[in-house]
Amino acid sequence: MIAATDLTKTYTFHKQQAGLGGAIKSLVRRTYETRLAVDSITFSINRGEVVGLLGPNGAGKTTTLKMLSGLLYVTSGELEVLGFTPSGRKHDYLRRIALVMGQKTMLWWDVPAMESLLLHKEMYGLGTQEFDRNVAELAELLDVQDLLNVQVRKVSLGERMKLELMAALVHGPEILFLDEPTIGLDVVAKARVRTFLAEVNQRRGTTILVTSHDMDDIEALCSRVMIIDHGRLQYDGGLDELVHTARPRKLVQATYATNVDSTHLDDVEGVTAVDSSGQRIKLEVDRERAGEVLEQLTRIGPLVDLDVADADIEDIMRDLFLRRSMPGDAS
Amino acid sequence: MNTLVRNLRVLRRMTAAEIAQQSIYRGAWIIFMAANICVPIISLLIWRTAIANGAQLPIDEQYVTTYFVLLSFVTMATSSWLTGFLANDIRLGKLSRWMVRPASLLLGFVANNLSEKFLKLFALVPMIGVLWWIFRDSMTIPAGPGRWAVFAVSLVLGAILVFTIDILIASIAFWMDDVSALAQARLIIASVLSGAVVPLALMPDWSRGFIDNQPFRFTVSFPVEIVAGNLSGYDLLVGLGLQTAYVLVFGALARLVWAAGIRAYSAVGA
Repeated sequence: MIAATDLTKTYTFHKQQAGLGGAIKSLVRRTYETRLAVDSITFSINRGEVVGLLGPNGAGKTTTLKMLSGLLYVTSGELEVLGFTPSGRKHDYLRRIALVMGQKTMLWWDVPAMESLLLHKEMYGLGTQEFDRNVAELAELLDVQDLLNVQVRKVSLGERMKLELMAALVHGPEILFLDEPTIGLDVVAKARVRTFLAEVNQRRGTTILVTSHDMDDIEALCSRVMIIDHGRLQYDGGLDELVHTARPRKLVQATYATNVDSTHLDDVEGVTAVDSSGQRIKLEVDRERAGEVLEQLTRIGPLVDLDVADADIEDIMRDLFLRRSMPGDAS
Repeated sequence: MNTLVRNLRVLRRMTAAEIAQQSIYRGAWIIFMAANICVPIISLLIWRTAIANGAQLPIDEQYVTTYFVLLSFVTMATSSWLTGFLANDIRLGKLSRWMVRPASLLLGFVANNLSEKFLKLFALVPMIGVLWWIFRDSMTIPAGPGRWAVFAVSLVLGAILVFTIDILIASIAFWMDDVSALAQARLIIASVLSGAVVPLALMPDWSRGFIDNQPFRFTVSFPVEIVAGNLSGYDLLVGLGLQTAYVLVFGALARLVWAAGIRAYSAVGA
């Protein structure tokens, strides 16, 4: 469905020093610089997959999304989506995809959202029955029936995002590109958007490619993630595998009724004490030794609570990005 | 569905929405059009006074009166204001929201242009009607519908020409950060060469060949001349031919620059 081979994108821009001197200098002589935004990445995505595109700011995620949706021409490499070259922006291609940008509205600001939906009805050549059916289904899923005839500028950010999603999906696209779909939303609105997207994927089989800095989005939606950093594809695989590879250890937290001594646990192979004080012990344990350690934890005092978890995905990403941004450690 | 039909249906929907949106500001249209008609009225009074005081001009009082009474209508009908907005959309990456949808990127601007003109008509036509009535004895009114039909065709061609020149200038924003200086220069040149400030008939004889054949004449002066002047059938034919040729040349040029620009588009911002 999506196939990219050695996909590369460079931007050329002129550099100007700050201040009056820099401005005058740039009038006479300009220095141009070429920046490699996406560096020879290769991947493919199958129908019905939900894939998270992750990376720090400026990593090349959004540029990749823009190339996939036809906004940008590729500098080199090959890109095919639904059998089309996206930058050709053929009608038959554009009517099978949708792009939602969390920070930019696709809706008409001063008129009710229904006007934008009706505009999409004409743009995508939808029949009245099909349009009515889709509007009813999406409005119910998103719980926005009462908002369709309200001016877009008068609804809240969370409500607007729901309407944006509705406008993007009213024509039943096969692929949905999402750029930071939950940015700025409160926890309730975020949860609603995630549930909706998961439902759209299940019900309609819509392929979703999403960029987000919110790891909860990624955990809730994506079975597969692609990590891009400095324009290069650093990881492409399952989210679980990423967690197991990046942090192959379990986090164990035990709470006791009384103070306990946990010093001897440090000597157990495969165990690292993260934080142990008084009634609480926090450990990192090799996955395969978790059972043995848990058994020991039950013996050292009156156990009140026990929690075993994988490492937090947000922590993993932070470590990953920090490590890569260290000089000389960009590989 | 045929692309043209689909785009026309989208345009109809967009224009209706634009009219609904802009009709909220009806007071603004009246003030806007009152300001628009002020300059031609002042020019009309000045030139009529000059003629009354014996100024020797190559045009008579009837030509001057008809010219300036019609001028505000023609400038309104052929005007376009998209350069700044389109350049801004290109510079700030706002074009992206239209690029991912299956319709012409410029439909929004066409709809905006048509809807504003439609609303301006309600404010401007009564004002011109009053002027017409005041100066009715000094007006040239062409007999028969033929010349009015040619005037209407010329008006449409003039509007397309201005719109096309606007796209051409705005498209430069694909490469330049700021095209406002270029747009301003064009505005000043166009206001003189289109006949919006002074009738082109008053331009010196030595410039006649250039003045009569340059493109800006066909954005304002030529449609007015069709009603106010004594253009022969041959003059009309040559004029319409030239106007059509300019529409085609600027259209092709704008399309070329636009297509190259889209390749350079960087879609800044998220």
